[in-house]
Amino acid sequence: MNKFYPWFRSDNLNGFIGLAIGLFAVLTLLYSVKFMAGHRRLIEYYACIVLTAVASLLVIFSNHLIILLASWGFLGLTLYLLINMGDDKASAAAKKALIIVGGTDALMLLGIGIIYYLTGTFQMDKIKISLSSNGFLLPLCAYLCIAVACFAKAGAMPFHSWIPDCAQSAPVPVVAYLPASLDKLLGIYLLARISLDLFVINNAIISIILMLSGAFTIIAAVMMALVQHNMKRLMGYHAVSQVGYMILGIGTANPIGIAGGIFHMLNNAVYKSCLFFSGGNVEYRANSSELDQLGGLARVMPLTYISCLIASLSISGVPPFNGFVSKWMVYQGIINNWQMAENRWQMIVPILCLIAAMFGSGLTLASFMKLIHAVFLGQPQAKQRANLKEVAWQMWVPCITLAIICVVFGVFANQLPLKYFILPAVAGVGFSGAWYAGFSTLLIIIGLALGLFIFKFSKEKLNLRQDRAFIGGEDMDLRIHPVTGTEFYNTVSEFGALKKIYSRAEAGFFDIYEQGKKLISAAGKVFQYLHNGILPTYLVWMLLGMLGIFFILLR
Amino acid sequence: MLKANIIPLFVIIPLLSAFLISLLGKYLKRQFIYVFSNISCFLLLYFSFYGLNMLRSCGSNIFVYKIGGWAPPFGICLVFDGLAGFMLVIVNLIAFIVNIYSLNYIEKYTDKPKFFTLVFLMLTGMNGLIVTGDLFNLYIFLEVASLSSYALVAFGTDSEDLEASFKYAIMGSLASIFVFLGIAILYGFTSTLNMADMAMIIAEKTGSRIIPFVSVLFIVGFGTKAALMPVHAWLPDAHPAAPASISAMLSGVLIKTLGIYALARILFNVIGISSAISSILVFLGALSLSVAVLLAFAQTDLKRLLAYSSISQVGYIILGIGLATPLGILGALFHLFNHSAIKSLLFLNAGAIDYAAGTRDLREMSGLKEKMPVTANTSLAASLSVAGIPPFAGFFSKLIIIFACIEKGYIGYAFIAVIGSILTLATFMKMQKLAFFGKLNEKYNYLKEVPLAMKLSMVVLAVICVCGGLLLLPRWNFFLSDAANVLLEGSHYAVKVFEAVK
Repeated sequence: MNKFYPWFRSDNLNGFIGLAIGLFAVLTLLYSVKFMAGHRRLIEYYACIVLTAVASLLVIFSNHLIILLASWGFLGLTLYLLINMGDDKASAAAKKALIIVGGTDALMLLGIGIIYYLTGTFQMDKIKISLSSNGFLLPLCAYLCIAVACFAKAGAMPFHSWIPDCAQSAPVPVVAYLPASLDKLLGIYLLARISLDLFVINNAIISIILMLSGAFTIIAAVMMALVQHNMKRLMGYHAVSQVGYMILGIGTANPIGIAGGIFHMLNNAVYKSCLFFSGGNVEYRANSSELDQLGGLARVMPLTYISCLIASLSISGVPPFNGFVSKWMVYQGIINNWQMAENRWQMIVPILCLIAAMFGSGLTLASFMKLIHAVFLGQPQAKQRANLKEVAWQMWVPCITLAIICVVFGVFANQLPLKYFILPAVAGVGFSGAWYAGFSTLLIIIGLALGLFIFKFSKEKLNLRQDRAFIGGEDMDLRIHPVTGTEFYNTVSEFGALKKIYSRAEAGFFDIYEQGKKLISAAGKVFQYLHNGILPTYLVWMLLGMLGIFFILLR
Repeated sequence: MLKANIIPLFVIIPLLSAFLISLLGKYLKRQFIYVFSNISCFLLLYFSFYGLNMLRSCGSNIFVYKIGGWAPPFGICLVFDGLAGFMLVIVNLIAFIVNIYSLNYIEKYTDKPKFFTLVFLMLTGMNGLIVTGDLFNLYIFLEVASLSSYALVAFGTDSEDLEASFKYAIMGSLASIFVFLGIAILYGFTSTLNMADMAMIIAEKTGSRIIPFVSVLFIVGFGTKAALMPVHAWLPDAHPAAPASISAMLSGVLIKTLGIYALARILFNVIGISSAISSILVFLGALSLSVAVLLAFAQTDLKRLLAYSSISQVGYIILGIGLATPLGILGALFHLFNHSAIKSLLFLNAGAIDYAAGTRDLREMSGLKEKMPVTANTSLAASLSVAGIPPFAGFFSKLIIIFACIEKGYIGYAFIAVIGSILTLATFMKMQKLAFFGKLNEKYNYLKEVPLAMKLSMVVLAVICVCGGLLLLPRWNFFLSDAANVLLEGSHYAVKVFEAVK
């Protein structure tokens, strides 16, 4: 890699991300062989997938801000083209995605311009800007401009709103590939890069901004996920929610928190792609992604079910899977901040964030139980065809591979990913409460085995009774009124104060894109009013403009 | 001295073509006119490249042709330097491509000889304005180009076209009067009309209030031709009204030659740019780019949207030129080149849709990509380029302009430029979505892609949009940097002109 210096550089932080990008590209290509077969624009599709991988590698390894900016922007273009290959609504989603991602790229350009103005170089390893020096405002602007681009790419609030739309409309491999894995890797990588290397964050304000926006993202997105009825849209909101943990981790600005954030980025990419791939399997076979139209698929699609279950538990932070390890590290980072606080006021932010993170984790589990129940358990829908079966190997191999990685990264966290990938990247990580998965995993396995043993060999002795289902004293025919996973969660959205927020959120009230559109249209109306098409008006402007310039120059 | 002999050809070829076509057009077959017009456009393009190449190879970076052998300042001279070569290449390249496009496109109009006559007159005006070294000559060529463009806007002879042409003519003539007044005052001040001579005299007589006064006249006059806010109002009517190939010429090169090139040449090389003028230009540029893009976003007429976007992009160019730093001017000229390719292409796309589907209303189009893939893909390339998405050329020119703003310490203007860029992206994404993506409108099931000549010219322009960024590579950046150096030299231009005629 030294040959390409100073244009490109590889170090401990970007090395393993490059590996991960390669892995996801290969898995996506494998998955697409079956899933995308028969699509009209296959050549364009595969070209975009490969170009995306190449551009991502350029972003990751580049040591020159302009190369980084150009390849980063190019990813917006491939994202746009790839989303456009989805269903009827895809063009709206693609437009939204490119406006948000490409628009924030322009801000990043401004940030890079300011960095060049301050330091006189584009070479990333030579840049070290202190945020507390005199002239504090300009560096802060630069940092925030680039951070906004990272937020939009990774999908943190308030720049998240393209992800759920994209998740619902774009082809599944595209969602698993870009918003779920690569965009997260890149966004969080750049955020980590600027926070760790390019800028010296010895300033509490940035830390607080990052932590609060992370915490807010976790809670708000997971609340939205809770009430979704579409499998892909639900997962899309989780793709937003999980970013909160990464930003929270990096925002803590202490080594364990940052390491946790980066590890969570890797883990999230793994289980989120796994979830989208399994969701894609379901959609491929059942031709629907609406939770109400699915059910009981565990029996016919066992491999998909298992991988989806593992990934769901992992995203919810259930030990011993990988999501737990990284979340635990983020929590430790927050607790460290809490302990370091000098007075009571400084304690508020860490406490709030810790509560938000833990609560968000619980809600994640809740919403995934809804998904697992609605899709894989419960009663099969009457409408469903009898010929449902497991998908082809090209489609389940990626799921299973990623599920295995979830387990391995969780159980052997200290031996594998942390040792080789994460800890070398972040200096000075000290665990205040180490978690050794080995023993508890053993206990879990023993418990499961014991349960299975009892279930298998003492079946006859169990006193089983099957009866009709009834609710409120009345018989219920499960074939007509199946117990769906979604109904229970509807109560959440009808819950007093939340109801109003939900209805507004559905109307796009909190969507920076929708609000921006309204604002631009309003401003456009004002100027349109001035362009009334009458010649004398225009001549008056001309003369007024000339008088104005005369006044300025000749007064 | 022989080398300078190609310069008059830039005026002679189009003028002669215009003359011949108007004279013989009635008696000749249509195909013959097509072939003839394309050959003369090709010759112009060839000589532009040839001149540029000669400029590189012979070491001296300026040629001067003395008309009738009279030496300046008494005779009229024609000057070919880096900037003139740069502009000539752009103008003649776009004219050549648009001419190919017109072969099919103008089928629906009557009286083709007149169309080509007017096009060549406009080309005469633009080429002459670029190469002339005499201020009064510049005014003449300005009027030649303007008058033929007024007629071309009205070529469709719908009521809408006539109204637009009328407005354009009134505002354009007013602008010409300002320019003329400015030239007259300068003549009174310096007693010469030769630009090089004038520059030398002005450089000696400092401290006069006449110079700022004349600068304002030129800013307003040429600014109107360039559609700078607040004197832009003719453009959103005139550009959509013209036939698409003419819109492409108007937005692509006419506003840049008559407005930006003439303004920059006079402000930098003749009367010298002061910091007050420079900050006024920066302000007007920022105003144009931000307000016009808001208006563009609100449009539903495709060509009107493009016209407003042209005002906005001209704002970027003026912003860059107004900075008067090497980086700013380089960025501005690069953006000028990119924008002429992009906007011509977008107008040609609009013309292709109009040709095939017969509509300009974005709300009526939908899913045209299915039926018109070449138009859709070239339009996408142009849209992404104008919106500044890498690796398209527009990204790099905007990047340079924004960096130049920051370099000069104008963070606020840089921010406005960034916001303008985001809004441009939003505008063009909206356009793409409405026109090309989504479900095909059922009434367009019969649609066919446009004929070969139209496709060919769109594809060539799209290639320029995609590969334009290569101009920044060291091997090719002389094209831009030679042009930028001419402006940066300021009144040293005069010294070089006089050296060249010795």
